[in-house]
Amino acid sequence: MPTARPPTVKDMTAITAPVTPASPATPATPEGHGGARMLRQLGVDTAYVLLGFPLAIIVFVLLVTGLSLGAGLLITLLGLPVLVATLFVARGFAEVERARMPAVLRQDRVGARYKTAGPDAGRWRRLLTPLTDLQAWLDVLHGIVRFPVSTATFSVVVTWWAAALGGLTYALWDWALPHSPDNSELPELLGFQDTAAVRITFYLAVGVVFAVTLPFVVRACALLEAWLAHAMLTGVASLRDQVAGLTSRAATAQAQTASAVSAEATALRRLERDIHDGPQQRLVRLSVDLGRAQQQIARDPEAARRTVDEALGQAREALDELRTLSRGIAPPILTDRGLTAAIAALAARNTVPVTLDLPELGRLNPLVEQTAYYTVAETLANVAKHSHARRCTVTVHVIDDRLNVWIADDGVGGAHLAKGHGLAGLTDRLHAAGGRLQVSSPAGGPTHVHAELPGQTEP
Amino acid sequence: MRVVVADDAVLLREGLIRLLTEQGHEVVAAVGDGPSFVHAALTHNPDISIVDVRMPPSHTDEGLRAAVAVRAARPGTPILVLSQYVEVSYADDLLATVRSGGTTGARGAIGYLLKDRVADIAEFLETLERVAAGGTVLDPEVVAQLLVRRGARDPLEALTTREREVLALMAEGRTNTAIARQLVVSEGAVEKHVRNIFTKLALPPDEELNRRVLAVLAYLRT
Repeated sequence: MPTARPPTVKDMTAITAPVTPASPATPATPEGHGGARMLRQLGVDTAYVLLGFPLAIIVFVLLVTGLSLGAGLLITLLGLPVLVATLFVARGFAEVERARMPAVLRQDRVGARYKTAGPDAGRWRRLLTPLTDLQAWLDVLHGIVRFPVSTATFSVVVTWWAAALGGLTYALWDWALPHSPDNSELPELLGFQDTAAVRITFYLAVGVVFAVTLPFVVRACALLEAWLAHAMLTGVASLRDQVAGLTSRAATAQAQTASAVSAEATALRRLERDIHDGPQQRLVRLSVDLGRAQQQIARDPEAARRTVDEALGQAREALDELRTLSRGIAPPILTDRGLTAAIAALAARNTVPVTLDLPELGRLNPLVEQTAYYTVAETLANVAKHSHARRCTVTVHVIDDRLNVWIADDGVGGAHLAKGHGLAGLTDRLHAAGGRLQVSSPAGGPTHVHAELPGQTEP
Repeated sequence: MRVVVADDAVLLREGLIRLLTEQGHEVVAAVGDGPSFVHAALTHNPDISIVDVRMPPSHTDEGLRAAVAVRAARPGTPILVLSQYVEVSYADDLLATVRSGGTTGARGAIGYLLKDRVADIAEFLETLERVAAGGTVLDPEVVAQLLVRRGARDPLEALTTREREVLALMAEGRTNTAIARQLVVSEGAVEKHVRNIFTKLALPPDEELNRRVLAVLAYLRT
């Protein structure tokens, strides 16, 4: 989650939890310029393949022995513990592979999950659980399959290194070789003359070709081995991780919906109360006044005129209140002209002077527009009501495709997100739109409010 | 006067028609959406049109755009725009059609008011006459927003409270007589305030009402 913001609000404390705590895979790539990085990777890959081969032999031998022994003894039941022990051997080596993989694959380490019997499981249950674990058998399968693969990659890597090093240094030890006439050198077989100069040039050329291709060939070998290990040893785990990720995303969405419902319920209750206390009362009073005027008109036209005047006043007040209310529900300027115009209009109406830093945002997702608008509206209303501020600023920027809104004032501070305070509803609103709200408002001020929203533009 | 009325709310439209007819005006067309209004205004060439901002088909600022379109097709056509809400940026759109009027000089012939103002019948009828005669009338709420919008950096700070009141009433498009009546002072006092305001804001003094309104608005909108 990007947390870019101006320095003035650095000391904010996050009040709401981030919505999507996705930890992106940090590449294990060491920083550095191309050449050094390539050399380092060559070292890593070479070590990986060279060490992999002896490991593969040991694993292969142990597993084949264990499997045959266990299978052979199965009818005596003694085979079962042998098989389980074999599974654990495979698992141990699999763990080693999982630890070795990340350097080659430049990925985060993925651990595997194994089935474990419950704490109250019986002895047999405990013994047999590993036998029913798909990952355990995949470990075994990998231990066997890796042997031929490792043999091949090991041979290729050793050959390439030998050819590269041997070819490049051939000039240094050509003299030490016996060059008897019955010996046929490779250049000679290819039709060149058998002189030291030709041999040195030829082998040097061969060495250069191998040396240049060395990093790529070794990388390919290492990757082949590592991807095989990755697929068989962590495939199940990463699949499970993906499922877990989806589940948590679903949970987040659910929480968002809950926030939305709660925000909406609160807003509706408030709306009902506002209508009841405001325009409804006025209209009742208006009809009472008009009724009185009807009575008065014959008796005392002058009194009737005064009553009608009052009634007109009531009607005007009712209209004012209704306008304020519907502006609170869905401000027409926001629908008509988008967030930039709507925030400018808000600032124009605010009693505390507002300085705007507001780019032309174009049309955004309606929910984002509405939420950002309410954030500014509510916060400015709070500034006007409680802060005793002399001026405030509203700053809007899109950073990393997220809409950031900062509202700062020079007032007395003490704004709270706690229930019952004006800002509490905002937290729900922002949450519902997939955003979050941060408030810093120490007693004595100043107050900074930062709202962040997903800012996808309207398609 | 011959009047075109455009409002999709039948209740208010009929109310307006009744009101206008009672006052001896002739409603030549009553329509309920943007395109019909453009057509009616250009066909009937009325002395004044009354247009609601929010209308079909878009149910957004349809009436406003229709008004701008009519004024683009026939500059200086008198139009009074009514709305449940007034916003400075809408007023800006309307006032922009005044500047593009070009040959019509200081003719505004534009009004922008909250719908509620209709309830003050006498004032409303007077507004109609003023706009039809080429005047410029802005709702007090727009003017208030214009004054707030200027914020801190402000030559307006130099004005006295009374001068600010006079300035606001000028921006609404009122005559000296109307201002004097509103503030319960003599016309002479108003004239003095007006001179002071123009001096303090470094505006060229102008006796002609509509040029004065437009100058004040141009000043406030920059």
